[in-house]
Amino acid sequence: MMTKRKLIKNRVPTPERPAYERIKSFEEVNLGYDFDLALMEAERCLQCPEDYAPCIKGCPVNINIPGFLAKLKEHRDNPYLAVKEALRIIWACNSLPAITGRVCPQEDQCEGVCVMGKIGDAINIGKLERFIADYAREKGIDDELLMEIIPKIENKEQKIAVVGAGPAGLTCAAELAKMGYNVTVFEALHYPGGVLVYGIPEFRLPKEIVKKELKKLELLGVEIKTDHIVGRTVTIPELIEEYDAVFISTGAGTPKLPEVPGINLNGIYSANEFLTRVNLMKAYKFPEYDTPIKVGKKTIVIGAGNTAMDAARTALRLGSEVTIAYRRGEEDMTARIEEIEHAKEEGVKFMFFVNPIEFIGDEEGNVKAVKFMKMKPLDEKDSRGKRKIVPTGETITVEADTVVIAIGQVPNKIIWKTTPGLKVAENGTIVVDEKLMTSIPGVFAGGDAIRGEATVILAMGDGRKAAKAIHEYLQLRDKFISPNEKS
Amino acid sequence: MSTCTEVFIVYKILERKEIAMRNVWFKVHAPHVVKMLQPGQFVIVRAFENGERIPLTPVMWDKEEGWIGLIVFTRGKTTMQMNTELKEGDYFLNIAGPLGNPAPMRKYGKILAIGLYTGIVEVFPIAKAWQEIGNKVHTLQVTFEPMIILKDELEKAVSKHTAVGVPIDSEKSFPENMKNVTARAREVVRAMIKELKPDLVFMVGPVGDQKAIFKVVKEFNVPMLVDLHPIMVDGTGMCGACRVTVGGKVRFACVDGPTFNAYEVDFDELIKRSGYYRDLEMRAMQEYMQKLQGGAQ
Ligand SMILES: Cc1cc2nc3c(=O)[nH]c(=O)nc-3n(C[C@H](O)[C@H](O)[C@H](O)COP(=O)(O)OP(=O)(O)OC[C@H]3O[C@@H](n4cnc5c(N)ncnc54)[C@H](O)[C@@H]3O)c2cc1C
Ligand SMILES: Cc1cc2nc3c(=O)[nH]c(=O)nc-3n(C[C@H](O)[C@H](O)[C@H](O)COP(=O)(O)OP(=O)(O)OC[C@H]3O[C@@H](n4cnc5c(N)ncnc54)[C@H](O)[C@@H]3O)c2cc1C
Ligand code: SF4
Ligand code: SF4
Ligand code: FES
Repeated sequence: MMTKRKLIKNRVPTPERPAYERIKSFEEVNLGYDFDLALMEAERCLQCPEDYAPCIKGCPVNINIPGFLAKLKEHRDNPYLAVKEALRIIWACNSLPAITGRVCPQEDQCEGVCVMGKIGDAINIGKLERFIADYAREKGIDDELLMEIIPKIENKEQKIAVVGAGPAGLTCAAELAKMGYNVTVFEALHYPGGVLVYGIPEFRLPKEIVKKELKKLELLGVEIKTDHIVGRTVTIPELIEEYDAVFISTGAGTPKLPEVPGINLNGIYSANEFLTRVNLMKAYKFPEYDTPIKVGKKTIVIGAGNTAMDAARTALRLGSEVTIAYRRGEEDMTARIEEIEHAKEEGVKFMFFVNPIEFIGDEEGNVKAVKFMKMKPLDEKDSRGKRKIVPTGETITVEADTVVIAIGQVPNKIIWKTTPGLKVAENGTIVVDEKLMTSIPGVFAGGDAIRGEATVILAMGDGRKAAKAIHEYLQLRDKFISPNEKS
Repeated sequence: MSTCTEVFIVYKILERKEIAMRNVWFKVHAPHVVKMLQPGQFVIVRAFENGERIPLTPVMWDKEEGWIGLIVFTRGKTTMQMNTELKEGDYFLNIAGPLGNPAPMRKYGKILAIGLYTGIVEVFPIAKAWQEIGNKVHTLQVTFEPMIILKDELEKAVSKHTAVGVPIDSEKSFPENMKNVTARAREVVRAMIKELKPDLVFMVGPVGDQKAIFKVVKEFNVPMLVDLHPIMVDGTGMCGACRVTVGGKVRFACVDGPTFNAYEVDFDELIKRSGYYRDLEMRAMQEYMQKLQGGAQ
């Protein structure tokens, strides 16, 4: 396999909208590769053997990365075919490459372990995956592939309920539908997609992409019932009666708020509220859209994960000066590197080692400043490998007329409050076995609902795994149930 | 609009009637909502493509026929647009629910249940259910004279219903007129507590009035419940827009409420929170009015 050729150490860059232009719009920041650029980047891959390739192991769903990159090279003269064959390989493990290519923390996963990374830049796997998905979508290649699958589906009798239409639920639904099951998805909000539509902003993940994925589900015959809050509109016990199996993928949607004075002042938003108003309800187009949002001159975002970066860059686009305030240090930030870089380029400022201890308001109840405790790091590390931090006793007060809290989320309690017998951990996550089955037989769960805040790719991976487990479970169950018992 | 969201349930308007000044009754097909609906719960409605999600209360419903009745009071842009543009045979885009916890169904004894303005809409199903389980319920609505609603229905449903209509003084501004309603409500409530000696007072209405009535009730040391109306977005516990301070703790009214012990509610905070978007709401309203006027020419 090894032919002699020159190693190209540097990445082929992807074009990006310049910072001065993008802070005024919600259009996507990264413009992605075209075929020629993608090919150039793919050429850099060393084609590590499949059983060794670290990138495959680094990807939570084990996509055959050298395999799909080889297809680009193999059919270099026929981009259409190249992309089709590459997509086929990706789809074997990941049905949402346009999304994961954009939002995976690649630096900790596939790219983080890429061999090329030791010599120069790791292969830009995320952007290549995204290119393949985008090209396929534009040219209708994904529809074509889907149409190859659909006629082969043998319809089964069994009905499956999926609760929550985020990446975990949508993936599980698609996989089950491909196996021929009748799938109904129940979604609380008026639009499916979960965090992909209400959380992650347009400039990072255009909603068109999610829409297209929903279209595919429709072609597969999946029914999505929006406006259904499971636990309120219909309960899990009722779903168990009516369906052969249930998959719970309700995410971790309840925002954590610091328990400090002044938290209910006006102008203090949870990141979820802030982003939902802007993304799902399109408040940035007020009054053309009815939902209002208020962003002042100075915004402080508390936290340093993806949610914090998204909130910060959204506030910036709404015309505010933005500072991210984090209780730990710069190297401890949990957001994707690309988002941190983009935030910096766009002019977001950062404060480290500060923890809010009070929000100060004016007479009308609007926030006007945040009082922080200054923190300092210790040499000792905590369970997650981060340096422990302790208060210094010194405080600092910073002016702000908008504050967004992005310090994490926990699962919503509606499900477990209304499902007797469902085992739930202390932090609210649903307890599952290695097959993702919960304490209730036939009820499975995955995504943020079992992990707490995690990632899109892990949620998707769970969706897939659960679909397989549900299939096995139903086969096994039906083997042991006599035909008359069945009816 | 994704086709996914539209095809399966259609929230058709079976009936639309202006039942009083600024109050419109909508009978809407919403079979999934009624299945588990209980008094005290609400729905979140989205009526228009660019529209807001707003909470409303099913005032009556039929489990067999699968419909809910909503009474919408023209307050700002969204409710005005609903009340002006939606006709019989039209559809609401989305109705999600039931949301919130059912009202506590206990035998309290004598209950005084008060609704100010359209607050009586929420009082109605709860008062009716309280009466049915053996309480002696006296309902009171205080509003502007031409805005009295549900009078016959309440008279049938509970032990006694009192409707107090305050005349609108056209010389005075609207806020001035509203002060009259508040003053009148305080007066009547005081008299009624003295006469009825209720074991529980329940009240729904604008939060400023809730505070005012609470002050009266407190003088008599009678237990009091209120349904709180903070601004909501999702209604499922996902955003925290609806947070209120109750008993010194932050609670989400949509999942922890909407019914709370009045003695524990931080009314002043809620008053401030409810007014946060007032300037933007005014702007939306003005632009909509202009559009209406433009269209009429
Ligand atoms: C702002 C933000 C940015 C992020 N950025 C990234 C990123 O860049 N990369 C990355 O990998 N991850 C990112 N994440 C995390 C990632 O989005 C989540 O890990 C992922 O979406 C989890 O998927 P899920 O399907 O488990 O749940 P969710 O996406 O949360 O979907 C759950 C769905 O269930 C619905 N639901 C909840 N309760 C009920 C109920 N009772 N009945 C019916 N429906 C219900 C919800 O409305 C929602 O639609 C981000 C998260 C946020 C909030
Ligand atoms: C649990 C609950 C039940 C309700 N039931 C009814 C009902 O049965 N009939 C009825 O007419 N009204 C009801 N309301 C009030 C109704 O939701 C508001 O009148 C409506 O949202 C106003 O919208 P608007 O655009 O017309 O007015 P706007 O001009 O936008 O707002 C006017 C005022 O209404 C309140 N409001 C605005 N947006 C919201 C929102 N998204 N959520 C809650 N309050 C908001 C604010 O206090 C605001 O100052 C209920 C509210 C709650 C919380
Ligand atoms: S799914 Fe994510 S981790 Fe896997 S190859 Fe794609 S970008 Fe990398
Ligand atoms: S580890 Fe890097 S170089 Fe090796 S196959 Fe994967 S992407 Fe190519
Ligand atoms: S309305 Fe969003 S949490 Fe209550």
